[in-house]
Amino acid sequence: MGNGGDVQLAFGDGLSFRQWVDAYQDDLIFYTRQHALLAFYCILAAAVLAVLLAVLVYRSSRLSGLAINAVSVGFTLPSIALFGIVIPVLGRNIGSVFPVVVLYSLLPALRNAIVGLQSVDPAMLDAARGMGMSRFRMLWQIELPLAWPVILAGLRVSAQLAVGIVAIGAIVYDVGLGQYAFSALANLGSANTGNEALACVLFVAAIGIAFDLAFMLVRRFTTPRGLRV
Amino acid sequence: MSDSTDVATTPKAAGSGSDAAGVPIVLDHVSKRYPGTKSAAVDDISMEIPAGEIVILVGPSGCGKTTTMRMINRLIEPTSGTITIDGEDVLSLDDVKLRREIGYVIQQIGLFPHLSIAQNVSLVPRMLKWKKQRTNDRVDEMLSLVGLEPAEYRHRYPRQLSGGQQQRVGVARALAADPPVMLMDEPFGAVDPINRARLQEEFLAVQDKLRKTIVFVTHDFDEAVKMGDRIAVLDQGSKIAQYATPEEILSSPANAFVEGFVGHGATLKRLQLERLETVDLRPVTDADSAAPRVPIKATLHDVLDEMIAKAQESLVVVKDGKPIGSVALDDVLARVRELRAEAEAREGA
Repeated sequence: MGNGGDVQLAFGDGLSFRQWVDAYQDDLIFYTRQHALLAFYCILAAAVLAVLLAVLVYRSSRLSGLAINAVSVGFTLPSIALFGIVIPVLGRNIGSVFPVVVLYSLLPALRNAIVGLQSVDPAMLDAARGMGMSRFRMLWQIELPLAWPVILAGLRVSAQLAVGIVAIGAIVYDVGLGQYAFSALANLGSANTGNEALACVLFVAAIGIAFDLAFMLVRRFTTPRGLRV
Repeated sequence: MSDSTDVATTPKAAGSGSDAAGVPIVLDHVSKRYPGTKSAAVDDISMEIPAGEIVILVGPSGCGKTTTMRMINRLIEPTSGTITIDGEDVLSLDDVKLRREIGYVIQQIGLFPHLSIAQNVSLVPRMLKWKKQRTNDRVDEMLSLVGLEPAEYRHRYPRQLSGGQQQRVGVARALAADPPVMLMDEPFGAVDPINRARLQEEFLAVQDKLRKTIVFVTHDFDEAVKMGDRIAVLDQGSKIAQYATPEEILSSPANAFVEGFVGHGATLKRLQLERLETVDLRPVTDADSAAPRVPIKATLHDVLDEMIAKAQESLVVVKDGKPIGSVALDDVLARVRELRAEAEAREGA
């Protein structure tokens, strides 16, 4: 058992973490990118769906109340159970990971989009309507830009959720960093299971932090100047 | 009819240039009832709003003044009756297009915080697909008109402006597409009293040039007297209690409700409408050299106020800084007697 002599982070009889990372470097890079990319697509889909749904319901207090309640209930469902429901219907493929992750990412995004659109000052809307804006123009030029910071804050939470739930998605289909975690759980006590678990945790966290930084940049560049001053 | 509205209405001011002057608005038996309510929000209102005048809708809260105004640009649809602008029935027009032809100013101003001042002002011209250059020129023209230096303000954002400046931009935005008609809902209500008085005067000066037809809603009777060519007093039952010039309402209120709404000191308020110009001035004597001065543009109310403040019975009247005569307390009282005689004659008629 070779020890690098530097950081000793070995579990069981396996390699040190550094050695393990060196040995499986290619796999790690591949799965990290795959994980990040899948999460990114899910966030994108959730963002589009959340804004569309919010636009449909935010004017009706009954519908938006219903949507927000559904979001609260949705949060209480364990994702692993949801994957369990999806497998018999959609089978074990990437197509059954995607909808579950999107659904979870949708929850905070939808709630914030509804709240953001509803919190636009009624005086703005009165002025907009009074000066002859059509419904669509009001939404596009006034309401969405004004709600944007709130929508974006919701998407930021969505992104973190997506990154975490893609990891759990590995239980359905061999995708992303979650595979390391499930492999480690399945072979508990064997060589390198500790390295696998640690790799999953660290790299998932790294993706999460990267997304968060990306959101800070997006917010910086997409918030209208008048709302920042 | 008292002629003192002439001060506000006759000078068909030079400089109106290409700007569209006002057009008449007619409300004919207009009512608004909301389902499930016993009384009407607006009850059978008929009134003619002459072109180029400021007509004030004034009354206690819940009297339907704002609802009446909002029916003109169809933010609220009337239940019955017709409203015509320049002879055209508003209900026959596309509501969105109609509103682009009508300036709209509200108390909360409603500037869009994510848009620069220039973008706010140019919204309606851009919706009307004006050429870029024309729009830009118009924005600068409008900002200058309301007393904001375009170079300094066009790229600022609403949050960087004071309340008074924001409401100036609100007025500039409403005027940008040169609408013949303006609706103003307590436009100066959210501004502090000193700035409000300035905004009111500036707006009257602008209106002197533009001669738009303006429907102006307020709950403040003093503002109504100051701003209005005509005033419609609406009562609790959402009906018009009196529709007349400020002078008539002050000197002969139609009923007890109007009298109560006018409040105490109607005579003094009446003097706010009388310019010093209507009084024959006395020649300046040596005795006046130490007397306080008052500008010829002042109202008799200002004159009286100054006399009491300085405990003087005589003031020197100045025009462009030069004394042109003097006015004594007796002159003011003589004018009050004339006004009373006029009012009595009108009531007798």
